[in-house]
Amino acid sequence: MTTIHSSQLGFFTAHAPFNRMEREHLLWMLEHMQLGYYAHGEVIVSPEQGIVERFLVIKQGMVQGEQNVADASEADAWLELAEGECFPLGALLAHRPVASVYRADKDTFCYELPVADFHTLLGLSAPFRDFCTRRIANLLEHSKQVIQTQYTQSGAEQQSLTSPLSGIIRRAPVTCAPQTSVREVMKQMHELRIGSMVAVDESGHPLGILTLPDVLERIALPQIDLDQPVIGVMTTQLTALPPQACAYEAALLMAKHGFRHVLVVDNERLTGLVSEKDLFALQRVGLRQIGSTIRHARQPEELQQAAGDIRSMAHNMMAQGVAPEQLTQFISTFNDLLTARVVELEFKNSGLLGTPLHTGLCWMALGSEGRFEQTLNTDQDNAIIFDMPQDMDADQMRAILLPVAKRINETLALCGFPQCKGEIMASNPKWCLSLTEWKRTFSGWISGGSPEALLHASIFFDFRALYGAQHLAEELRQWLARVASDNSRFLHMMAENALQNRPPLGVVREFVVGKDNTLDLKLNGITPFVDAARIFSLAAGVTQTNTIQRLRLSASKMNLHVSEIDAWINALLFIQILRLRHHDEASARGLHDDALDNLIKPEKLNELDRRILKEAFRQARKLQARLALEYHL
Amino acid sequence: MLARLTRWFGSKPQLTPEQQLRLAAWQALPHALPDEPVAATRCVVVDVETTGLNLMQDRLISIGAVAMVNGKIALGDSFYAVLQQQSASEKGNILLHGIGATAQLEGVPPVEALLAFLDYLGNSPLVAFHVAFDETMIKRAFRNYLGFSFKHPWLDLAYVMPGLNPPLAQKYRALDDWIGHFGISIDTRHNALADALATAQLFQVAHAQACQKNITNMAGLRDLEKAQRWVSRVS
Repeated sequence: MTTIHSSQLGFFTAHAPFNRMEREHLLWMLEHMQLGYYAHGEVIVSPEQGIVERFLVIKQGMVQGEQNVADASEADAWLELAEGECFPLGALLAHRPVASVYRADKDTFCYELPVADFHTLLGLSAPFRDFCTRRIANLLEHSKQVIQTQYTQSGAEQQSLTSPLSGIIRRAPVTCAPQTSVREVMKQMHELRIGSMVAVDESGHPLGILTLPDVLERIALPQIDLDQPVIGVMTTQLTALPPQACAYEAALLMAKHGFRHVLVVDNERLTGLVSEKDLFALQRVGLRQIGSTIRHARQPEELQQAAGDIRSMAHNMMAQGVAPEQLTQFISTFNDLLTARVVELEFKNSGLLGTPLHTGLCWMALGSEGRFEQTLNTDQDNAIIFDMPQDMDADQMRAILLPVAKRINETLALCGFPQCKGEIMASNPKWCLSLTEWKRTFSGWISGGSPEALLHASIFFDFRALYGAQHLAEELRQWLARVASDNSRFLHMMAENALQNRPPLGVVREFVVGKDNTLDLKLNGITPFVDAARIFSLAAGVTQTNTIQRLRLSASKMNLHVSEIDAWINALLFIQILRLRHHDEASARGLHDDALDNLIKPEKLNELDRRILKEAFRQARKLQARLALEYHL
Repeated sequence: MLARLTRWFGSKPQLTPEQQLRLAAWQALPHALPDEPVAATRCVVVDVETTGLNLMQDRLISIGAVAMVNGKIALGDSFYAVLQQQSASEKGNILLHGIGATAQLEGVPPVEALLAFLDYLGNSPLVAFHVAFDETMIKRAFRNYLGFSFKHPWLDLAYVMPGLNPPLAQKYRALDDWIGHFGISIDTRHNALADALATAQLFQVAHAQACQKNITNMAGLRDLEKAQRWVSRVS
């Protein structure tokens, strides 16, 4: 037993996963380690060295992982490892050569463990094994866990909306054969005091469901023959989720469609039934209830109330650590419902409901709403496309539609969506156009390319139908996909414009902060991803508006690597988490939603978050490099 | 004073037959070849703590050493011993190296500590920063406790580093200057083992720099050291 350890233990106990390992295992590891030195620029591990022979921990210095690309000029550092970090775990676990070149970015010392000892240690130490095998998503994962534990402490042992349905199902579902008589089924439901019955075939595959409200509506009121097979009165359009799905997904389904029950189906077999009541315990406000309130609201006040409920629900979900993509999806779903109801009500109040002016109109969401990326403080960005009846011209249409649109914008403002300062709203005559006029407007932007046109394109080209005549928006989308992908000059200018907004990292990879030492997570963090995804999707003819989907779907046509896309998406999601957390903290301090900003002070973040954020910004930088390469900028 | 005089001029220390065998075994080891590349040999980087900086009067308290094997520091191949003292050193000195009075009095009997050090050392060449100090202290301890003259090849980084980095030679003198320049962190300075480790890291830097100049073995590094000794005398 040597004595080198005492002076080295301090280093290891300051870094994960070593800080969680037992001292005995740590000493064993140290006993088998070497310390290597690598001068600035020296290769530490490379694919040419063959199957990796050692596990490395950076004692001091900096290591860069470079993607192994054929063209050296494209070799962009994609990974930066600092003191206390371990590599190359994937290759060690898989007994293969590394895929990237790891190079010392400054004079660097690494602790090194021979591969055989590394595997022995995996067997000895559970925390070490856990860390190494889960490492791939670990940094992001860790951050997420930290956020969740922060919140679950306040939520006690309460199950959260992120628990899987399998954990929520209380008992095996009560089922019957489809040929059972209505009478028999009603008798059983009464005796067992259950609210629903599912009919299944011999293999357990669900065929239909009957719920108590159906009994009144379909059996008692029409006074049907009680001896007929129950399947005849059941709902056979069934909505099912797998047991791994989250409670929140079931809640969202119920809210969207007004169901009270969602079937849980595993491999075509019914394994359980989740009712609204089961989910109710998980949430302070019933999701379906909000949905139902919105759908049946008659007065703006009711919608205002519902808007308030949506917000408190979103805060609640944020507090439970719901992932950002789910949260923004949640917010978008409900805001859509709400907006649709507002539009419908105002058309009704104007006496236009059901007229060609109403049926031939499409209310569009633009900007972040169009991308399904709304957070709690988003102002309105909307527009109208209308179909032109034969006996009217566009100006006549506008004369009738604009006052209605104005009231819609005002009602939405009352519901907490501030009117757009740039007047990008349907009540603006410029943005209430026929399909032909829209195409003309878009064409003008695409061929013109003035700064104003580019700015407009960045908002309007994220449009999607929210209410009404969807086919108009779809036709416009198809047309745009065709026209934009053919116009490389326009895409080139969009790219040039997007590259004006650089991620806030300096040359020495420190954050570049503005006044008050702050960074704008939206402008500097999210926007580079959103802008690049828009350009890729336009170039690739992808018709989706959501940034993540745009990136994924553009990948093959743009020759982007799946791993590259994944890294960008993870980076984007991480920034989004930080942003939502920032909003949540501000709300907890009593700030109103309209006062929420996106400014954070990097020095206030913990070290891990700071490092991941840097890595996320580096991914943004890399994405921009890809854009620059594509458009020769 | 009398004790020290008797130790200096008195009779040879008494070793047990077993201890004599261990000493003889070490003395019989073949010499290391100075032409072997450092990248393929074992070197031992050493640092000592003493009761003070006076070469004539002060005593050895502890020895710390780490081995650099094939260019890498082998953490499992290290050595540390506190030599048992007849009386603890002064308070100011204790604050410097952090070995308390109890630890000093409870250390390993000097003969055992020194023999263990020889076992550990084998025939590997020694490396230190300011060899004159470490060598003198170690040599005297060997003469006093084992009664033999410790002759071993040393390399002095205090000359090698300026030789490899002429622009820095004027500015940097102490170990702290050099490890600071290369960003080598050290958690407990003036602990013989921690200092030896930092010195070993400096040796790794020196080795990498020397390889750039096609100096790859101990012989070459010693030539560099000699040349620098000469330069610093005449300049």
